[in-house]
Amino acid sequence: MTSDTVSLDDTATRGWRGEFRRGVAASAPMLLGVAPCALVLGAQAAQKGMSVLDVPLMTGSNFAGGSEFAAIQLWTSPPHVALIVFITFLVNSRHLLMGAALAPFLQHLPKRKVFPALFLMCDETWAMSLADARRRAARGIGPAFSLPYYVGTGLCIYVAWVAFTTLGAALGPAMGNVEAYGFNLAFPAIFLVLLRGMWTGFRAARPWLVSLVVAALVYLFVPGAWYVAAGALSGLAAAWLLARDA
Amino acid sequence: MIDPTVLLTIVLMASVTYLTRIGGYLVLRNRTLGPRAMAVVEAAPGCVLISVIAPSFVTNNPADLAALLITLLAATRLSMLPTVLIGIASSGLLRTLLG
Repeated sequence: MTSDTVSLDDTATRGWRGEFRRGVAASAPMLLGVAPCALVLGAQAAQKGMSVLDVPLMTGSNFAGGSEFAAIQLWTSPPHVALIVFITFLVNSRHLLMGAALAPFLQHLPKRKVFPALFLMCDETWAMSLADARRRAARGIGPAFSLPYYVGTGLCIYVAWVAFTTLGAALGPAMGNVEAYGFNLAFPAIFLVLLRGMWTGFRAARPWLVSLVVAALVYLFVPGAWYVAAGALSGLAAAWLLARDA
Repeated sequence: MIDPTVLLTIVLMASVTYLTRIGGYLVLRNRTLGPRAMAVVEAAPGCVLISVIAPSFVTNNPADLAALLITLLAATRLSMLPTVLIGIASSGLLRTLLG
């Protein structure tokens, strides 16, 4: 935190390159979390029958880890297109809120810069850039939102994500059945940590419980991968119904 | 060569994801969501993630279930990397021990 405040002092005089580098430096520690996740995703994707070309194509064009983990989990050969696209939308629907929260900070930028920049918006880059913009605003540095800082954080994570998922896909087949070594719990572990990050209290998490119970029941009694859609939709219905007393 | 169905799935995934990224900026920047719509959007990612891993909670393999509980406990206090390592290690170990 102190290094942040110190480095903030001279951001007003820094050029594009300096701000970009500040973004790269801020996101570098995140790579410790990103790289292992990406390796596991790539390895799992390879085991589900995706090629070393398919994996970077997906992770490089989609660039949204949560939805990719979900897609791989549901992946069959050939894939169930509608189900996977629908689940991708559900997992990534949070981007709608994130974009809306970022919008007031982007008013000084033309749309031709905003549209490509938003491609890089993921949980990490969004959280870091928003926090950075609020700090800069509090210190009277304008514009509060630093586009090169944001692009620096985003590109750093993007390159690592695509590179390590590809590496995972290349190493995956050599690793044999990763499930046998306990890798079957890698996904639940990743998802549980992501959920912990979204946790704001038991009250807000009640729809999750509905999703868990419905998904588990549908999984036990209905063949196929419908449990994801059934669990997700019943959780959303619960969120809608429970919102009254929120 | 890339299978056409795989390519179609990836292209549609990428398109849908990009739409969610620009959609909030385009549609919601001058608007406020109602409390119900807000609650649904806020709950959505968690509902999906937990639905995807729901089968792990109803496995009939006691070793996997115990490993899941250990992982759940780890996830409440540790960061991504140690939690994943603990999950993998406990599952691998318990599967070996409990057969």
